[in-house]
Amino acid sequence: MSREKAEALARRGTVLTAVALLALAGVYLRALLFTPIERFQGPAQKIFYVHAPAAWSGLLAFAVTGLLSVLYLWLRDRKVDLVAAASAEVGLAFSVIMLTTGPIWAKPIWGTWWTWDARLTSTLFIFLLFVGYQVLRGAIADPETRARFSAVIGVLGLVLVPFIHMTVYLFRTLHPDPVVMKPGAPSLPGEMQVTLFTSLGVFTLLYLGFLAQRYALAVLRDLKDEEAGRAVS
Amino acid sequence: MQYPDNGGYMIAAYVVAAVVVLVYAVSLFVRIRRLQRP
Repeated sequence: MSREKAEALARRGTVLTAVALLALAGVYLRALLFTPIERFQGPAQKIFYVHAPAAWSGLLAFAVTGLLSVLYLWLRDRKVDLVAAASAEVGLAFSVIMLTTGPIWAKPIWGTWWTWDARLTSTLFIFLLFVGYQVLRGAIADPETRARFSAVIGVLGLVLVPFIHMTVYLFRTLHPDPVVMKPGAPSLPGEMQVTLFTSLGVFTLLYLGFLAQRYALAVLRDLKDEEAGRAVS
Repeated sequence: MQYPDNGGYMIAAYVVAAVVVLVYAVSLFVRIRRLQRP
């Protein structure tokens, strides 16, 4: 990709992110002021409207990294590796939200910040796996070796994504079952459903904006390294 | 209707989520700007 195209992609990504951030402000208003309070959990239940969409975007990002990692190992295309790495970093940002808002919600409802049950432990594990992915990429100088090794970790992450979704069915866990991604209709009242689906859409948009920006950043960094290499030789 | 008094946790979670999103958005913007400079 040329410098002009990368800069144009960065601009489009920035606009998309800005639109998503404005929409997120709207989600905050709707969730905090116009969505009913759940009778048994109280206001803390509203953490759901940021926690679940952040978890969705984080796992979506890791699944995209995993699928692109499979594609990279097949095609050995550098662009595919860069998009996979971009998605992994964005996934980490959403995972930080998931792993901080989860305990803040758990404390008033479960009486503890954390418990080592299957859902919580496996989400922490995928987060640490992709921290390792980033550390590995920073430690290997050769682009081809870096892409190959990190693609293997990406594939391992892909295997974990459906496992994390199934943990609430496979193990005894404090974590509630899915209310949307399950067979049958969502088990939420109408107004809460609208807030949740709006938030899911906004977090997906935010993921796409971040992904476009992060991929453009990787391409610009590559071009700069190439220019520096040419200047030295 | 009486609800459990746990609104502070809700506010804390929304603030944390906003801070993470904004910090990451600014970080991407700044890193791209640095590479765009001639």
